[in-house]
Amino acid sequence: MKIDPTSRSRLITDTATVMARWLLGAAFIYTGLSKALHPVDFLKLVRQYDLVQSSLALNSIAAGLPWFEIFCGLLLLAGVAVRGTALTLMLMLVPFTVLVFHRAMAIQSALAIPFCMVKFDCGCGTGKVFICHKLLENFLLMLLSGWLLAGYGRQLSLCFSLIKPHTKQGEKNLGAGFR
Amino acid sequence: MAPCHRLEAKRVLLETALVMIIGAIFALAANQASPRGLALMRNYFPEGTGLIPLATPSHNAASTNFPAPDPAQLLAAELKEKGLQLADASLALRLFHDPRFKQNIVVFIDARDEQHYREGHIPGAYEFDPYHPEKYFDAVLPACKAAEQIVVYCNGGDCDDSETAAILLRDVGIASQKLLVYGGGITEWTASGLPTEIGGRNSGELRNSSK
Repeated sequence: MKIDPTSRSRLITDTATVMARWLLGAAFIYTGLSKALHPVDFLKLVRQYDLVQSSLALNSIAAGLPWFEIFCGLLLLAGVAVRGTALTLMLMLVPFTVLVFHRAMAIQSALAIPFCMVKFDCGCGTGKVFICHKLLENFLLMLLSGWLLAGYGRQLSLCFSLIKPHTKQGEKNLGAGFR
Repeated sequence: MAPCHRLEAKRVLLETALVMIIGAIFALAANQASPRGLALMRNYFPEGTGLIPLATPSHNAASTNFPAPDPAQLLAAELKEKGLQLADASLALRLFHDPRFKQNIVVFIDARDEQHYREGHIPGAYEFDPYHPEKYFDAVLPACKAAEQIVVYCNGGDCDDSETAAILLRDVGIASQKLLVYGGGITEWTASGLPTEIGGRNSGELRNSSK
């Protein structure tokens, strides 16, 4: 059977985006689990950022964030509310990256070493990492989230959108606009 | 923006809000259900303990006329402010060999988590993870009340869980004069070739650390 070039290109894009969705989901489940299994260690790391003064707020962040990441990872793996989840991840990744960058700058200035030589445990669930690797990793995760947010990765998803368009025409427009 | 795209953006935003709300409820419920979950109302860091310091830059010390401060002196001063005392390696060792240790008049407290405690602790030391104190109070509190000197330790180095544990014990009524924080911790202990005990307290399974 002959496959025309358009169908082949679509097949490749579809496969790649589903893989990207699974990869993103798996990454968040992995990092979430590594924090959720050692919540006290994560609590100590979160505290270094001096985000909040109240212990209730600090505890809530440290207790909730790992499980929230696992939740988002599971949604992506299953393909549920994909764009909503992708936007949620973007909204988490951007401030996290800024925080990690600032912490790395403080360490760099304290140690007087090149920026990319800064290595520390940022509380990202991957242990001690070089800051440039971490920033690159976050950038890639944001890129993947952006890709999913644009409407790709529909294949093999249980419920791509929780909120469906009201009309048949809307469904048509949706398909046309995002594929 | 075309009307259909505006509607689509609205739907995505609404979906995001739903994901956030359901995710937050899931996260807090999972923390509650997890045996390792955090207690939201507890202050895990009494009096500013638990901060991981940024390393001091070497060029700063060189650029001034003052010698770099000795970390042990800094720690001793910090502990003194909190009404606690620092124990160095020789004092910890002396108390370990003190006959009063066998009579429980001198007590050692290991402030690390259960896994690290079981992998090797100072022989006879009580297990007391300050982040889950409720599990250990029954055994530790009577021993501390009866003791005349209590040596609290953790990993040493940047670890200040021993300080957190000592403050916790002080806050539940143990006299601060009795409390000593062994700053070198288990790392210094094992590096000095001293024995550790594996498993539970008084398991008798000793391991000699190689220098």
